[in-house]
Amino acid sequence: MLTGDDPVALLLFRTASQDRAAFRDLYAATSSKLMGVLLRILGQRAEAEDALQEVYTRVWLRAARFDPEKGRGMTWLIAIARNHAIDRLRTRSESTAEDGEAEAIVDTTPSAESRLIAAGEAGRVADCLAKLEPDRAEAVKGAYLTGLSYVDLAARHDVPLNTMRTWLRRSLQKLKECLDQ
Amino acid sequence: MTDTPPLSPQDEADALAAEYVLGVLSLVERTAAEARARRDADFAARISTWENRLSGLNDEFADVPAPDLLPRIEARLFPVAAKPRRAWAGWLIGAATAAALVIGAVYLTQTGPAPTLGGQLAAETGDLRFEAQYAGTTLTLTRISGSAAEAGRVHQLWLIAGEAAPVSLGLIEGDALSVTLPQVAEGIVLAVSLEPAGGSPTGAPTGPVLVTGSLTAI
Repeated sequence: MLTGDDPVALLLFRTASQDRAAFRDLYAATSSKLMGVLLRILGQRAEAEDALQEVYTRVWLRAARFDPEKGRGMTWLIAIARNHAIDRLRTRSESTAEDGEAEAIVDTTPSAESRLIAAGEAGRVADCLAKLEPDRAEAVKGAYLTGLSYVDLAARHDVPLNTMRTWLRRSLQKLKECLDQ
Repeated sequence: MTDTPPLSPQDEADALAAEYVLGVLSLVERTAAEARARRDADFAARISTWENRLSGLNDEFADVPAPDLLPRIEARLFPVAAKPRRAWAGWLIGAATAAALVIGAVYLTQTGPAPTLGGQLAAETGDLRFEAQYAGTTLTLTRISGSAAEAGRVHQLWLIAGEAAPVSLGLIEGDALSVTLPQVAEGIVLAVSLEPAGGSPTGAPTGPVLVTGSLTAI
């Protein structure tokens, strides 16, 4: 459904028809959010700006694949930004893996520990995360918001990689059951 | 993982989609998951569902004002049309040239046809990636990550149809390359090789093939 309650989806539709004015409007409307995503995960302003260019390049090229039946426009944009930032993080850490240490991630967001807004979707995720053990909820949030890998999480929580994977898979399964209710 | 109880293929696919969306996989695992999503619609749908499930966390990303990078993004996406060939240049003189250039410039700012085919050129390892799109009669290749070839080398684009020998589509000197092709079929393979400056001296790829990909319907 493409309705007035998702203005980003409308701009994506116009962008998909090669409408450059709509693409500019889309940038104006969404670039601060995507910059926030990229900076949170990448931790460095110059790299985040570089990544932002690549993200909007992809958005223009892939706009025709956006399907409003599958979700909101902003959710689709944030997925592209997160995926690109995480790919960059992995490329970075795997190319410096010889010293055996995962790259430290700079958390630049002042509201890193801010409470989730207890309303709508955000509230539902917060409620469901609260049902997990605190360290597991923290691992899920750390991965989603700052791009921590299994390797990073295992080191941070001081457990073997396989244990972390088992933990996280179970936590995700519980989250799914809670969120799909 | 040996200590994980065996899962049904559906549950395994769902767990992998969740791990992909959460972002915990290694680069190799992520690339494999993306390749699977392109050919496995059920897996792609699971990824979408997980993106929606976890989208409540997106409120935690604070807005950070971004500089106006649009000019640079547009320069990358909309490369100025190639100059007329030398043989034609002599015909286009004086006022006629000016008029033609104005018309050309106006035309370039209009919206074009929507793409019908698209695909990504990537390798198992490395961050060099190109996005390919075919719209109207124009095939456009845009570098979406990785760097241009080092000095003295160039990236060259090849089209491979079935068992036929690769055909050069041109050199990627900047961030993008646009080529006019009257017809392109779904499934056609594109490849980028690393060649000496000026392009392959033999007419066939001589350097390593860096990335490949095929075009599918959008």
